[in-house]
Amino acid sequence: MRVPDDYCRYLVMHAKSSERLLARTEGLTALDLEVSTSPEAMSLRRMVYAVMSEVHRMKAFVRLRPLGDRVLWGYMKPRHRIGEHTSEHFARRNPGTIIVLGNGAESWTAFFRQDRMMRIHGAGLNETLDRLKSALKISEEEKGADAEGARANAQYIDDIWQTYYDSQYCPERKNLQAFRQRMPARDQEAAGLQLMQKKREMTLEDFRQQ
Amino acid sequence: MVTLEKIAHLAEDCAFDSLGPGVNINPKKLSTLGEGTRHDVCASTYSPRESPLPGICHAFTQDGRCVSLFKTLYTNHCSHQCNYCINATNCSRKVQTFSYTPDELARITLSLYRSNYIEGLFLSSGAGRDEDLIMERMLETLQKLRKQYDFPGYIHLKILPGSSKNHIQQAMELADRVSINLEAASASQLNEICATKSYENDILQRQRYIRDLGTDENLPAGQTTQLVVGAAGESDQDIFKRILYEYKDIGVKRAYYSAFSPQNGTAFESREGQPLWREHRLYQMDWLYRIYRFSPADIHMAFDENGFLSNSDPKLAIARELLDSPVDPNLAAYRELIRVPGIGPRSAKRIVGLRMRKNIVSKRELEALGVVIKRAAPFLKINGWRDTTLEKWSG
Repeated sequence: MRVPDDYCRYLVMHAKSSERLLARTEGLTALDLEVSTSPEAMSLRRMVYAVMSEVHRMKAFVRLRPLGDRVLWGYMKPRHRIGEHTSEHFARRNPGTIIVLGNGAESWTAFFRQDRMMRIHGAGLNETLDRLKSALKISEEEKGADAEGARANAQYIDDIWQTYYDSQYCPERKNLQAFRQRMPARDQEAAGLQLMQKKREMTLEDFRQQ
Repeated sequence: MVTLEKIAHLAEDCAFDSLGPGVNINPKKLSTLGEGTRHDVCASTYSPRESPLPGICHAFTQDGRCVSLFKTLYTNHCSHQCNYCINATNCSRKVQTFSYTPDELARITLSLYRSNYIEGLFLSSGAGRDEDLIMERMLETLQKLRKQYDFPGYIHLKILPGSSKNHIQQAMELADRVSINLEAASASQLNEICATKSYENDILQRQRYIRDLGTDENLPAGQTTQLVVGAAGESDQDIFKRILYEYKDIGVKRAYYSAFSPQNGTAFESREGQPLWREHRLYQMDWLYRIYRFSPADIHMAFDENGFLSNSDPKLAIARELLDSPVDPNLAAYRELIRVPGIGPRSAKRIVGLRMRKNIVSKRELEALGVVIKRAAPFLKINGWRDTTLEKWSG
């Protein structure tokens, strides 16, 4: 990983970020942070990397589900304050679609259209989705059918994915250490992924290693 | 002030096609055609377009390899006789044959992409009865994705051997990256593993077409290639020689290596599989050439008298030959620094950056810059002192 020029952007998102911490960065360039061996700079560097790594993993692991035909939503409970940043990423990727990410406590909504980004940091995910449903004028009746259809749709796509994902595994190359390193359980959990395990093919040895 | 209601109002005319149950996919088809590409490697999905695609790995399988694309065959029906392949006509274990339709494939790709499971599509195929027809179908899939569904994701298309120049050109306009698998290091070796493909005409000539048809606009991520390692008894040096040609003359962005593993029912079923470490060492060799920019003459030092790499880091073998005197991190040029095992391009750059500010006085400082000190120490001289240990000489 490399410290980006605008690294303060990431420091602000760190769970332990504070004005005092940001004041410590004054006069420190990205290169200073990258090459310095002073404990102070190294600790800042670690904080930047921690946020960057979580941002990267959330962009990769969060799965989006449709709500009607204008909203994509996903569960996310990150350690750092990266909700807004991540939802903007998905909004840019799906222009014209409302993106809602969040969990029981908070949610981040983003909408990108015609080079303009709109964002809202709001209440829990369910509440936000309910408000969107009424704002999008999905009637109760439609809502029921829609919810049913959306659930079936999401499940269907998830099944397609699971079948495909299982087909990509080469047993002769099994390397659980690399798997765990690249898909840390902590980040899978934060993105609401069901732990990807090939349970049927697991041996006692695998359970022992876990 | 932005409210949910306002956003909802603005989104009203932007409905997307929710796809999903509209197409019914047979899971057996999905997994058979998926399995057909599991030995194909496509690690990077970075594409330097006008708005660059970042390249994200969305999942990893338990073999530690990433799944960033929907990697699949269009059909597993094939008229070639590759001795290592389960879809070959001379394979005694008959697998049920399946084929997608362009619309099915485009819709699956799009729904997986929209739900953020994948970064794009990696499409390969058996040759079917008629190679041209399959190639056309694959191009139709890409057309649908790009033109009908405005798919912005990454597409890597395998060009079938013997494809026409016209098809190749169309593919290059639609895909981010295309590739043709070399499979073997030379014509005679390809002959041994596949009797129905011509190395010169079906593979090299098509690669040259891709090279010659390339412009600034099409194919942002360039072309790549892949080899089956060890199926035809070739040495690592044979592979390196071929790869040099590919990098220099064809201009491939990178080469992938896949260790041969015998599949039941194929003609090569009883051949010995290649250890995975061989593949790993070849990647290290490739890395030294591409990223570290070692000269071919330097890399040749890593081969033994039979032309094989040993199961140890080729960079260490080269360092033993070349680094007679210890390297002082305060004085050595970048090119010298990256020759030291345990120092990579990034840590070498950091060393150069740090010493402009202050002298490097301890191993701990180097460690903080990302140097693997255990491997680097025997080759370094810090403060005029050198770690004279036996480590340098041990594997």
